Amino acid sequence: MRRIYFAVLLMPALLRAQDTVAPTADERVGPVRGENKGDYNIVQSWEFGYRFAAVGGNQDKYRSDVNYRDGIRLLNSNFTVNSKDGKGRWFDEIVLSTQGLGNDPYESATLRVQKNGLYRYDLLWRQNDYFNPGLTVAAGQHLETTTHRWQDHDLTLFPQSHFRLRAGYSRVALDGPALTTEQEFDSRSDVFTLFRNTRQQFNEYRVGGDGDWKGFRFTILRRWEYFREDATDTLSGGTSLTSFQRTQPYRGNTPGWMGNLFGERKWIAVNARFTYAGGRGDFVQNESAIGTDRFGAAANRQIIVTGNGDRPVTTGDFNLTVFPAGRLSIINQTSASNTRMVGNNFFQQFDNKTFSFSSLNFQFLGVRLVTNATDVRYRFSKKFDLFGGFRYSDREIRSTEDQAAPGFALDGVSATQSNHTKAGVAGVNLIPMKNVRAHLEGEIGRNDNPFTPISLRNYHAIRGKVQYRTKTGSAGVGYQENYNNNSIRITAYSSRSRSYSAEASWNAKSWVSLDTSYSKLHLDTIGGIDFFAGSPRSLEIEGEQSVYISNIHAVNIGLRFALKKYADLYVGYNLTRDTGDGRGNAFVSATSFSGPAAAVAGVFSSVQTFPLTFQTPLLRLSVRIHEKLRWNFGYQYYGYKEDFGLFTQNQNYRANTGYTSLLWAF
Amino acid sequence: MRNGSFMRKLRLAVLMALPVCGLAQTDAAQTAPKAENKFVGSTVCKTCHPDVWLNFNKNPHFKSIALAREAPDKTGCEGCHGAGGNHVAASGGKATIRAFSQMGPEQVLNACLECHAKDVSRANVRRSAHTEADVVCSSCHSIHKSQTPKFLLAKRQTQLCYTCHAPVRAEFEMPVKHRVNEGAVQCTDCHNPHGSVAPSWRTGTSSAMLAPAHDNEMPCLKCHVDKRGPFVFEHASVRVEGCGGCHVPHGSTNAKLLRRPVVFTLCLECHNGAGTFGRENTGVFVQSSSHNMLDPKYQRCTLCHVRIHGSNSDPTFLR
Repeated sequence: MRRIYFAVLLMPALLRAQDTVAPTADERVGPVRGENKGDYNIVQSWEFGYRFAAVGGNQDKYRSDVNYRDGIRLLNSNFTVNSKDGKGRWFDEIVLSTQGLGNDPYESATLRVQKNGLYRYDLLWRQNDYFNPGLTVAAGQHLETTTHRWQDHDLTLFPQSHFRLRAGYSRVALDGPALTTEQEFDSRSDVFTLFRNTRQQFNEYRVGGDGDWKGFRFTILRRWEYFREDATDTLSGGTSLTSFQRTQPYRGNTPGWMGNLFGERKWIAVNARFTYAGGRGDFVQNESAIGTDRFGAAANRQIIVTGNGDRPVTTGDFNLTVFPAGRLSIINQTSASNTRMVGNNFFQQFDNKTFSFSSLNFQFLGVRLVTNATDVRYRFSKKFDLFGGFRYSDREIRSTEDQAAPGFALDGVSATQSNHTKAGVAGVNLIPMKNVRAHLEGEIGRNDNPFTPISLRNYHAIRGKVQYRTKTGSAGVGYQENYNNNSIRITAYSSRSRSYSAEASWNAKSWVSLDTSYSKLHLDTIGGIDFFAGSPRSLEIEGEQSVYISNIHAVNIGLRFALKKYADLYVGYNLTRDTGDGRGNAFVSATSFSGPAAAVAGVFSSVQTFPLTFQTPLLRLSVRIHEKLRWNFGYQYYGYKEDFGLFTQNQNYRANTGYTSLLWAF
Repeated sequence: MRNGSFMRKLRLAVLMALPVCGLAQTDAAQTAPKAENKFVGSTVCKTCHPDVWLNFNKNPHFKSIALAREAPDKTGCEGCHGAGGNHVAASGGKATIRAFSQMGPEQVLNACLECHAKDVSRANVRRSAHTEADVVCSSCHSIHKSQTPKFLLAKRQTQLCYTCHAPVRAEFEMPVKHRVNEGAVQCTDCHNPHGSVAPSWRTGTSSAMLAPAHDNEMPCLKCHVDKRGPFVFEHASVRVEGCGGCHVPHGSTNAKLLRRPVVFTLCLECHNGAGTFGRENTGVFVQSSSHNMLDPKYQRCTLCHVRIHGSNSDPTFLR
C-alpha cells in the first residue's frame, strides 16, 4: 500500500517536462516523503545551488531576453503541512513554495494557510528584474533597468459556509533607473537622452463577501486602488541642451464595486453581474530646459502643467443558460459597458527669449458598448455535438477636443460615431473513434465602421484540432486561421495569420518519456500608408505600403530518461526560426518610386521582414546521492542570431547558462 | 442539479411536442443512482481504495469529511461518485458507481458544477470556449493524482495549457515574451480558463477567456498599472480597441512585444489619414509634414512621442 502511495507521488515528476533550467520544481528524493509530527504530516524540499552564465555578443539583448546571472540561489523550495484528520487546532494546511530566491531575475513565493471551515489565506509574491535596452525601437535611448514587484494577499473567512467574508490587499511597485528622451526646443530640433528615476507604486484594498440563499449566491466586492508616480527626468552637462529637469508627480485613485448574482435550477442558470471602476488622476508637471535652439540661439524654456483626469467604467452583464432538454443548451449573454474619459489641464510655457504661451485643454472620450451573444448547442450523442451562435455588438464613441487660451471660449471639435459588429460562429465536436477527439469551429464577422485602419472589419477565423490520447501518450494536430480585411477606397489593410501545430507526448515506461511539438506561425500584413520625406522640405508620399511577413517555425523537444532510482536525465531543445519572406538581405531594390519616395521605399523594404534564429538546447541531470539528497546539474545554451539587423543594430548573442545544486527533501 | 423524476416528465412533454427533442435523454438520468442505492460513507471506500484514501487528507475535498456538515450526497467519496451501496454490493465495478473515466464531458461538467458552479470565477463556465470544445473539469484537474496542491491541476499550469495550445507554447519560447516559462507569470494572470464575460474595451467576438482588471478593463493593466491613467490626452485607439492594436500578448520576435519589428511601420499603418477612422470620424492624423522619414530620428516615433499610451500634458504625447 505504501509503495502505491509513493508511486502516486512520484508519477507527476516523472512525466514533467521543463522549459528552462531555472527551477527544479517537483523534484523528489527517494520514496520516503513526509514526516508525521503529532496530528500533522510535513513534506518539504529545499534546493540550494549556484547559477552561472557566460555571455558573448550583445549582453544588453541577452539581459533583455534571458537575464540569468551568476550567484548562489535558493533555486526552489516546497513546504507543506497537512493535518491528518482535517481538524487541526490553528490550521489544517500550510503550502509554501518559492522559486529563484537570492537574486534570480524571476523570484516568487506562494503561501496558503487554511483551517477547514474557518479561514483561508493566500499570498503570492513575485519580483522581476527587468532590463530592456530598447535597441531597435529607440537606439538604446530608452534603456530600462527596473525592478517590478507584485504581492497579492487574500483572506477568506468561513470558506465552506453559506456566508463568506473576503478581504484582500495587492501591491505593485516599479522602480529603478531608466533613460528617456526629450525633443527641445522645436519640432525639428535635436532629441536628447535624459536620465529617469522611475518610481511607481500601486496599492489596492478589497473587502467583500458572498452568501447563499435559496439556491442563489450573491457576491459583493468593494475595492479601493491608489496609484502614485514620482518619476524625475534630468540632464546636465550637455552641449546644445545644457540643463534639463522635469518632475511630474501623479496621484490616482480608483474606487470600485463588483456585485454578482448566480442561480442555477434544474433547467436554467442565471448569472448577473455589475461592476464599476471609477478612476481619477491629479498631476503637476514642471520642467525647465536651458540651452541653444537649432539655429544656435540661446533658449530657455519652462513648462508648467496642472490638471486632472477621470475615467469611470461601468459594466453590467446578464448571462442566461437554458437546458430545455438534456441534449440541448441555449446560452445568451448580454453585456453593457459605459466608459467616460474626461480630462483637462492648464498648460503654461515661459520662453525667456521668444514668447510665453498658455492654454486650457479639455478632452472627452466616451465609449458605450452593448454586446449580445447567443449560443446553441445540441449533443446528438456522446460522440457528436454541434454548436452555433450569433454575436452582436453596438458601440458608440463620442469625442470632444477643446483648446483655448485663458479667457477665451472653448470651441472644440465634437464628434459621435457608432459601429456594429455582427458575427456568426459554428462548430462541431466529434469522437470518430476511440481515444480520438476532433474539434472544428469557424467564425465570420463584419464591422460596419471600424475605429482604426487596422481594426476588424471583414474577418473570419477557423480553428481545428484533432487529438489522440491514451494513458501512455498523446498526439495531436491543430490549425488556426485569422484573416481580416479592412480595405476601403483610398487605403488598404489586410492581415492574414495562419498557425499549424503538431504535438506528441509519449510516456512509454516509467523510465522514459518524450514530449515534442512543432508549430508554424505565418503572418502577412499589408497596409496603405501616407507620410512625408525629403529634405530640406518634406514631400507627402502616398501610395506606399507597409508590408510585414513573418514565417516562424518553432520546435520543442524534451526527452527524459531515468536510470532506475539513481539518476534522471532530461534533454530538451527549443528552436524559434523566423524565415521571413525568404530574402537574403535587408534591402530589396526596384521600386516604382523616384526621389525621396524611392529612398524611403528602400527604408521600408528593409523592415518588411525580420528573419532570425533563437535556439535554446538544455540538459538537466539529477543524481541520487542519498535517500533524501540529490545532486542536480542544469545547462542551457541561448543562441540569438538575426539574419540581418534593423537599422544596422546588431543584437546577436550567445550564452552558456546553468546551475549546480543540492536538493534536500524529506 | 436534475433528478430523474423531473427529467422523465420533461422528456415525456418534449416527446409529445417536438420530435427532434424527443430524442433527448438526459445525461443525469443515465447516471442517476438507482432508487435502492444507499450511501455507505467514505470509510467503507478505503477498504478497497487505500491508495486514494491514504492521500485524501491533503485533498481539498477532504474538507467535506472533516467538517461533516453536508448531506451524504455531498460528503467525501460519495459526494462526487454517488451512493456506493450498489458498488459495494457488487464488489466494485465502474458500472455501479459514478466513474468519471466513463463519463462524457457534459456529465463531468454537471457533476462538478453541482458544488462549484456558484463561484464568480466559474459563473461563465458553461459558455466558455473550453466547454464548447469539450474541455471540461477533468481535462485539466486531477482529483486524485494532482501535481499541484492548489487547484488540483493534472500538470503544472503552463505545461497543462501547452498540452492543447502548442502555438502559444511556441510564442512563449520566443526571445521577447512574458516570462511564463520562467515562472514569473502564469496563464491565469490574464486568462480565466473557466470562461469570462464579454470584454468591455473592444467590440468582441470571442472573449479569449480573459480575466479583466477591475473586472471590466484590459487584463494588461493588472501589472502595467502606469498605463491605466486616466490621462487628459488618451491615445484613443488604446482605450477603444485595447493594447492588442500595437502589441501581441504572449511572445514575439520583436522588441516590446510589438506587432512590427520597428515602430514607424506600426504607427503609419493607422496614421495615414484615410477614410472615416479615428475619434472624429475623419481619419487618423497623418504624421507631421516636418517629419522626414529619411531621417533616422523620425523613424523612431517614440523617441519624441514618449508618452504614447497617454499624456497629461501634450495632445501628441510628447511629454
